[in-house]
Amino acid sequence: MLSVIPQAEDGESRPPALRMTGIAKRFAGVQALKGVDLDLRGGQVHALLGENGAGKSTLMKVMFGIVQPDEGAIALDPRGAVRIDGPRDALAMGIGLVSQELSLVPQLDVAQNIFLGRTRGLKLVPRVGFRRQARAILDDLAPHLHTDTPVAALGMADRQLVEISRTLARGGRIIAFDEPTSSLTPAEQESLFAVIRRLRAAGKAIVYISHRMNEIRAIADRVTILRDGEVVASGPIGDYSEARLNELIAGRELSREMSAEKPAPVASAPVIELRGISTARIADVSLAIGAGEIVGLSGLVGSGRSAILRACFGIDALSGGEIGIAGRRVTLGTPADAMRAGIALIPEDRRGHAIVPMMDVERNFGLGNHDRFASLGVIKGAERQRVARRYVDELHIRPASIGTEMRNLSGGNQQKVVIARWLATGARVFLFDEPTRGIDVGAKAEIYALLRRLAADGAALLVVSSELPELLLICHRIGIVSGGRLRNIVDNDAGLTEERLIALAAREDNS
Amino acid sequence: MTELSSLPRTEAADRKSPSLSRRGDVLRKASVAIGCVMLFLVFSVLNSTFYQPSNLIDIMLQSSINAVIAVGMTLVIMTKGIDLSVGSIVGLSSMVAADMLSHGLLAGIGAGLLVGLVCGFLNGVLIARLKLPDFIVTLGTLSIFRGAALIYTDGQPIYGLSKEFRALFAGRLLDIPTPVLLALAVAALAYLLVRYTALGEQIIAIGGNEEAARLSGINIERVKVTVYTISGVLSGLAGFVLIARIGAAEPIGGSGFELQAIGSAVIGGASLFGGVGNPLGSLIGALTLGALQNGLTLMNVPSFWQYVASGVVVILAVFADQWTRKRG
Repeated sequence: MLSVIPQAEDGESRPPALRMTGIAKRFAGVQALKGVDLDLRGGQVHALLGENGAGKSTLMKVMFGIVQPDEGAIALDPRGAVRIDGPRDALAMGIGLVSQELSLVPQLDVAQNIFLGRTRGLKLVPRVGFRRQARAILDDLAPHLHTDTPVAALGMADRQLVEISRTLARGGRIIAFDEPTSSLTPAEQESLFAVIRRLRAAGKAIVYISHRMNEIRAIADRVTILRDGEVVASGPIGDYSEARLNELIAGRELSREMSAEKPAPVASAPVIELRGISTARIADVSLAIGAGEIVGLSGLVGSGRSAILRACFGIDALSGGEIGIAGRRVTLGTPADAMRAGIALIPEDRRGHAIVPMMDVERNFGLGNHDRFASLGVIKGAERQRVARRYVDELHIRPASIGTEMRNLSGGNQQKVVIARWLATGARVFLFDEPTRGIDVGAKAEIYALLRRLAADGAALLVVSSELPELLLICHRIGIVSGGRLRNIVDNDAGLTEERLIALAAREDNS
Repeated sequence: MTELSSLPRTEAADRKSPSLSRRGDVLRKASVAIGCVMLFLVFSVLNSTFYQPSNLIDIMLQSSINAVIAVGMTLVIMTKGIDLSVGSIVGLSSMVAADMLSHGLLAGIGAGLLVGLVCGFLNGVLIARLKLPDFIVTLGTLSIFRGAALIYTDGQPIYGLSKEFRALFAGRLLDIPTPVLLALAVAALAYLLVRYTALGEQIIAIGGNEEAARLSGINIERVKVTVYTISGVLSGLAGFVLIARIGAAEPIGGSGFELQAIGSAVIGGASLFGGVGNPLGSLIGALTLGALQNGLTLMNVPSFWQYVASGVVVILAVFADQWTRKRG
């Protein structure tokens, strides 16, 4: 039996498995990387931290040959200086990248994906041999996977395993993970960590990118922090406290902004009330949210959390139950109906579902609000500009110009424009799906402040989030969703911790 | 309003300066005009007839039919759609109009426009309501409408259009050919629509990000049906010019106009990726293609080769679109 995961070698005594020195890259006048050095050693997990746009992904693309650096050198042990001309080159050199968008072909089976790109032209594909080799790798890494299952039938976690297997099949020694856990369940995360630890033990050099501090803590040996394309710190993970890491990432102190008090909810009749609503994806969900209240929804991706929001926004049709707004029953057939009822949805996939990247801030702000900013179909430009400027000022949207195209704003600022849009429609119910997904640490604090302010102004907020610390920070109550049902809802008082929430969720899963 | 420069530079501004993307935009807009001017210069150098005022007016006249269709096509393309049936709508509506002209000028015009409206509306409903792919729907109606035009008179052309009709759509006003004025008016109206109305913004939003537009409460179906209907009506209108100039309506009239219209829209800056386009640009696009044909004719290039040239220019325009997109 061939062993694809050989025994560990001593990491420190050898030169680094991969050494990048002075990597610089410019995109259309923007310096994405400025002389970055990075050493990756076998048998170590190296965490790469930084805000979005700090250069992490660009650096990984350089390492995987997707992007060619303008300056700098890459040296591989024992080959010496190398030029990586594309993913094909990188794979052949034993460098693999497991990214959020996996490069698997769903229609092909596991073995075919593992050996994708290994044959060329009209050569026959040695199926039997590939299948046997794939089996050998999977026996070591993921014994539960069959070589002939189409990848389309696999979940995210298994797809990642296939991606890792593909790298190992090429004799991979350096494997980068770019936010691998963002769509995994806690149990799947644990088994991924187990796999990463085994790869480490086998002497692989691992790069790990994540925004989740607890993961970095759990898995990393060393950490390198990038800010604005430069390395601001690098060293053993034990040398840095979490607060220090956050400061280094954001470039300023955040503790105060992050821990502001929640405003007390106003005792009032519910602003929005769900009475036993069901759709194709959820069943019998009942929930009432009062003015000034922030309710969080926790649960796995696919548990029905987002489907509850979709039902509240008229995207998914109700098959049962009813929705009341300020005591009156409403029928929500389309998002336009929901908008008229004073409901706002701030979707998770901002780029895909919330903004028009090529339109400017003013028009993105006015999107869908033509009732207010147009008369007889003609846009009231001056008035809309005035209102848009006011919101840009109030919400500290940067750059402070309503003429900037939306795609040139950072994630946090885009999110603020989307929120401003709904503020201008006079919405009283705000549905947030992962409000800080893909948003930098610094901007996160501002979004939290904004959510608190919305509540303080008397809006009702329903927030879906995968990040438990986020829910614990901002919510008054937290509901646990699984299998399309709202299983349990607990008060977020001093006694509630991440551990207890996870335990509650696990109990619901098993019941 | 605070000066942008007085504020601390934010990450967003550092990461990707807005002026860069604006430069991309300018490049994109200017490249159309530059290309058009260069074409005029080249032909003027090669042939002294080309730049004579009478020939320039000829070019405008020849381009006007295409320009009117291209304006509608631009709106469609801006929603990330495509309308391949415009040429067949030209054929069908002009046949019906020619036939109905025997009942009077207004009857002819009304019937022709109504046919265009119904055809466009049908496209819109099939695409927006039944969610069928625009390319296939309009490829299908291209054949259906053409078939209907042939069935209408059993393939026979209709001769003898009324004088008023020909004066209206192929005459002159203040020495300017009416089709040119018509094209200018249509393009100007469409420009105002895109620039200053809610519908215009909704068109851009749908082309830029349909899902975001839907989730912000925009009625996608209505906007799309409206846009295809406009395209149909403008095709009908272009058909009037076609038959007025020839003096007869043929059931095969308008064949191949879709390529010209799509080409003009794209040359004029409309992006097949949606969300970007300018009806005035499509006017320049139509002029560019018209000048190309006119210039090649003056240089005695056989008309068969002109097809090749038009196709090459259209593909170049799409290539330029992709290229500026990547850089911008």
